[in-house]
Amino acid sequence: MASQLSSHFFGDLLDSIIVDVASECHRIARLGLDRNLEDEEEELRLSAQARSHPSVASEVFECMNCGRSIVAGRFAPHLEKCMGKGRKARSKVTRSSTAAQNRYSRGSPVSTYSPYSNSTTSNRLSNGTSGVAGEEYLNGTFQEP
Amino acid sequence: MFGVRRMRPSVNRPPTPDVQENQEKEPTLQETINIKLIESGEKERLMELLRERLVECGWKDEMKAICRAFIKKKGRNNVTVDDLVHVITPKGRASVPDSIKAELLQRIRKFLVSAAL
Repeated sequence: MASQLSSHFFGDLLDSIIVDVASECHRIARLGLDRNLEDEEEELRLSAQARSHPSVASEVFECMNCGRSIVAGRFAPHLEKCMGKGRKARSKVTRSSTAAQNRYSRGSPVSTYSPYSNSTTSNRLSNGTSGVAGEEYLNGTFQEP
Repeated sequence: MFGVRRMRPSVNRPPTPDVQENQEKEPTLQETINIKLIESGEKERLMELLRERLVECGWKDEMKAICRAFIKKKGRNNVTVDDLVHVITPKGRASVPDSIKAELLQRIRKFLVSAAL
């Protein structure tokens, strides 16, 4: 009887935390705070544009900030975003949420994984490995790229 | 002639609860303990402990990754909190490390013992 009761209350706590996590992710999504998501949406739009506007400057340059190859016609917008990542000045909201996340992740002993990495692969989302003891954990150290 | 049997009612309805009965109902043991948990502040402490452990072990990051994948698929303006809750609940409940679950259960049991006195 006691163990049934304690399991019930544990489930209660867990469910509340699950709602909190869902709520937090929902907020980040709706406020557009997930830079990775934004970048991917941008890339989608870019490829659509490139197909319909072949007249845009087609020469390719190397970005002096991140080293990526950027089409001349998209150079200015790219620099806006690329250089903006060095500063946290983008929006106050971002700062408060990631600052809180930084507090949590600092003490973590597990291998690092940065969700804001500037990798050019489109698959920046982590694979959901099981969090059971013994297996590899994902650690969200929100390093500033 | 066939023996007359009591006819079954054509509508199967549970008996209407007696209104008086409801008003006199005692709070369940669960409800009583829940109130004690909250009033003593222990529920809040337990929640913070569980939250901290789940962050440390990467459980939260895993849940966030699942959310992000779902959001990317559905489009960030088409997602509700409810969607996300349903998306992460099965995996969320199943992937809590045993050690963390044990730690919390032990603390809860300790509280139950002390609350019963």
